Amino acid sequence: MSGRTSAVGELRHTFRTPVNHIVGYTEMLLEDLPPEDEGHRAPLEAILVAARDALEHISAVLVPSETPATETVRRLYAELEEPQARIIRAVTSLISAQDLGEPAAEDLRRILHAAEQLRPIGGAADAPPAAEEEPVDDRPARVLVVDDIEDNRQLLKRRLERQGHTVICAEDGKKALAMVEAEPPDLVLLDIMMPEMDGFAVLARLKGSRATRDIPVIVISALDDMASAVKCIEQGAEDFLSKPFDPVLLKARVDSSITKKRARDRERAFIEAAESVAAAAAAVEAGTYRSGSLGTVARRADAVGRLARVFDAMATNVRAREQQLHERVRTLKSDIAKAREHPAAGEKAQLATGERIGGRYEILATLGRGGMGAVFRARDSELGEEVALKTLRRESVGDEAVIERFKSEIRLARKITHRNVVRTHDLGEYEGGYFLTMELVEGITVRELIDTRGKLAIESVLAIGTQLADALAAAHAEGVIHRDVKPHNILLDADGVLKVMDFGVARLGERSSGITEVGLVVGTPAYMPPEQLLGEEVDVRADLYAVGVVLFEAATGRLPFEAQSPMLLIARLLQEEAPRASSIDPAIPEELDQLIAELLAKRPEARIQTAVQLKERLAAME
Amino acid sequence: MSAAKRVLLVEDNEMNRDMLSRRLQRRGFDVGIAVDGRAGVEMALTGGYDVVLMDMNLPEIDGWEAARQVRAGEQGRRVAIIALTAHAMQGDREKALAAGCDEYDTKPVDFERLLGKIATVLGSAP
Repeated sequence: MSGRTSAVGELRHTFRTPVNHIVGYTEMLLEDLPPEDEGHRAPLEAILVAARDALEHISAVLVPSETPATETVRRLYAELEEPQARIIRAVTSLISAQDLGEPAAEDLRRILHAAEQLRPIGGAADAPPAAEEEPVDDRPARVLVVDDIEDNRQLLKRRLERQGHTVICAEDGKKALAMVEAEPPDLVLLDIMMPEMDGFAVLARLKGSRATRDIPVIVISALDDMASAVKCIEQGAEDFLSKPFDPVLLKARVDSSITKKRARDRERAFIEAAESVAAAAAAVEAGTYRSGSLGTVARRADAVGRLARVFDAMATNVRAREQQLHERVRTLKSDIAKAREHPAAGEKAQLATGERIGGRYEILATLGRGGMGAVFRARDSELGEEVALKTLRRESVGDEAVIERFKSEIRLARKITHRNVVRTHDLGEYEGGYFLTMELVEGITVRELIDTRGKLAIESVLAIGTQLADALAAAHAEGVIHRDVKPHNILLDADGVLKVMDFGVARLGERSSGITEVGLVVGTPAYMPPEQLLGEEVDVRADLYAVGVVLFEAATGRLPFEAQSPMLLIARLLQEEAPRASSIDPAIPEELDQLIAELLAKRPEARIQTAVQLKERLAAME
Repeated sequence: MSAAKRVLLVEDNEMNRDMLSRRLQRRGFDVGIAVDGRAGVEMALTGGYDVVLMDMNLPEIDGWEAARQVRAGEQGRRVAIIALTAHAMQGDREKALAAGCDEYDTKPVDFERLLGKIATVLGSAP
């Protein structure tokens, strides 16, 4: 196999090039260093030493006479990790010191870039098994020589075989086409002037068929017949050779055509792989994706392979979670259906049906009442849509500063787009105070569900918890804290889809000086963590505490703290540890019991810290 | 000391080009740069260079063809050409010499070794 690129040669080059760049730039930086500058010399020399270590590893592992196995390359990646880390450490320290001046800083960045190319950062385990793909180019190419003259065929055959290719010959166009059809070659060397079916006709057939048009064709023409060669190239031939053959040119053109074909083949395989990942994404949307169906694509060593593996893992995970949620929601739906047969008695609202407020919203019916106002079904006369309209009575609203803060909170809340969050539309003012319009959800609140059903089935509790965590994760990601998560604010539609409403609304009831006066605490303190009861600034963990109370109540039918008076209740909330849900109902599974206890921790730092963590914990439950 | 020797570097890889050209300048060479074979041939034929460092794997026309075109030109017969190939392939050296090159070296370039080869071809150049 004289003169053919070896897989090892290419690998050595791939590995050595970045090291060479590291050495070159580092040596230049050292050359520019004043002799007394020991401070910079040490890290630069450390880089050189590490780079030479890397070169030694490369030379020791990639031995020219051996074909590298995947395992070899993995080992090399592993061995390069340590010198790479040394280089990156030293160069990063020099870059961050920022005292070598700009031209040097640019070279340091080049060294860093080269070091990052040395091996994929993130561990040898996920390193691409480069050798699996490299040997592709090392396969002998199958070349079809088509020429009516025996001597020409033999000459080409000998030369090409000496270059390591497998050669098959055809003495006329018809035979050539039959051979191509039987087993497509990697390259066709095609004489133009042949009796019966000439080179033009063969070329036209090859390039005219979808199955064969990507096989490169080099046409052979007489030196004095350049017009024919030009015509062939116009018809799709990749290259031409003139007789008598120049051996160097022959080899160069054959090698180049084969390399290009293989690059095209790889490109096509890459595109096909990318397309199958895209198809898998569509399958996930359609709900038909089966995990592991990316099979061969997921075994590729390149970026598409990695994408396929990550995608498959994510899709499998999403599907498992969807199924889990589906199961949980089914139980919840039957709870809801039963609760709707016995609706809780509505209270009298303060707006009359048919009344119009904000000039735009016509009150259609009362949906419910809350501490700060009532909720109505209303028609938005401008958009012709039905909305939910919540009134916030003036006497329950705080001072100007609070209203401003509330408005900015509502602006934020409008950004949350999530299936488990009620969309907030519009904030307006009417004579009785403020009103807020939002997405109309046909459903019942978790309050109503618990009031009519008592404690819920564990599956229902988990369905509520999972969706509540999803909603809060989306809101928290937008920087919105709910501050008043409670069963009254959590809606469930007939399909069991949960929707949290009133994000940010709790702000409206606060006083700008805080809510230290017990009497001014908005809503029920039962769902508030100690820090919120004390009027301290709250963060996302306040919402997580509230979720703990909601889940406790849903699982047991009771609140963790109950007392004869609000004063006593708050004292207990601040001082006493919450009882275990399992102390009320021993049937509650240990994992859920523990989760609720962690959510109800008095100190925020002892709680589950984020809604995302909560999602993961709930998803992990059987 | 005589005037600085003029080196033409024909190389399409930006990092290689930057590093090699700067290292050669530091060693007192007057360095010209071409980023593809076509520009390389043109500069080699008209730029009055003493030596051409020719990457063989180039866009437009490759190094092999570029070397032949340089040799075919009136001005190009006197300039020394050192071929640089990425993969040490058996027969590359012969192939480089057949294409009209005076010397051959493999990439990644060992700078000191390359300097030695430059000195050799300059010494033997007419």
